[in-house]
Amino acid sequence: MSRRRRVIHKEVKKDARYASPVVASLISTVMREGKKSTAERIVYTAIEKTREGTDTIDPLETLNKALENVKPRLEVKSRRVGGATYQVPMEVPAARQVSLAMRWLVTFANKRKGVPMENALAYELKDAAAGQGNAIKKRDDMHKMAQANRAFAHFRW
Amino acid sequence: MSKTEDPIQTTGRRKTSVASIRMQSGTGAIKVNGRDFTDYFGSLSLQNQILRPLEIANAVHSYDVTAKATGGGINGQAGALRLALSRALIEVNETLRTQLKQEGLLTRDPRMKERKKPGRPGARKRFQFSKR
Repeated sequence: MSRRRRVIHKEVKKDARYASPVVASLISTVMREGKKSTAERIVYTAIEKTREGTDTIDPLETLNKALENVKPRLEVKSRRVGGATYQVPMEVPAARQVSLAMRWLVTFANKRKGVPMENALAYELKDAAAGQGNAIKKRDDMHKMAQANRAFAHFRW
Repeated sequence: MSKTEDPIQTTGRRKTSVASIRMQSGTGAIKVNGRDFTDYFGSLSLQNQILRPLEIANAVHSYDVTAKATGGGINGQAGALRLALSRALIEVNETLRTQLKQEGLLTRDPRMKERKKPGRPGARKRFQFSKR
């Protein structure tokens, strides 16, 4: 994050199958070492898998719901005031909410060992959509931190 | 030049790939090195990339294309084919130039592999530093 000048936000390209910028950035989050086609395969099969057993028309329903559930609303940022560091609770900007939610979903999917990534991601998405799973826990932890440090809220900047 | 029976021939390049194509009016069949392009370029994102100039020209099903793609990898070949198609389209219809240009479809992507440098294992990467 640049402190010097305004950040110019590039428009995120749409993905090939669903023409959705959300899916495109999910693919980029999953990607490692520039292997985009592998990342694409993982994300698309995971999305397919989240549809199994449901009869919804929108293929991205589970994904959107999962993201919505994982999005954190509050976070704590460190701020030094007179030698002491305080954890100041702050609201999370909308764009950062999405990035964090995606990052968590992907990292916790990665931590499910012994399962192919496409399955792991599908499970994680389903869990999150149902309000369970590690990504949700992460969000709750973050909210708890913010709640616990409410007293320092007046240090907001 | 309006409708011609002679096929239009153009080439496009990207990275180390070269694609030379022959395009004539038809039904939208694109063949690359003897195979259908959906078969040759497995991933959907590459296929969409190739169809982009045709979509802009509103001509996805108006031409038959035979292409020869050599060199480089699948990604570069797709990019080369796309450039060749864009160039072929403006030969048919010069008025498309502005639209294609806006989409950056007429620009030869100048990014090439950066050369490896002496004293380093790669173009930018350095050998691990060891204090003694």
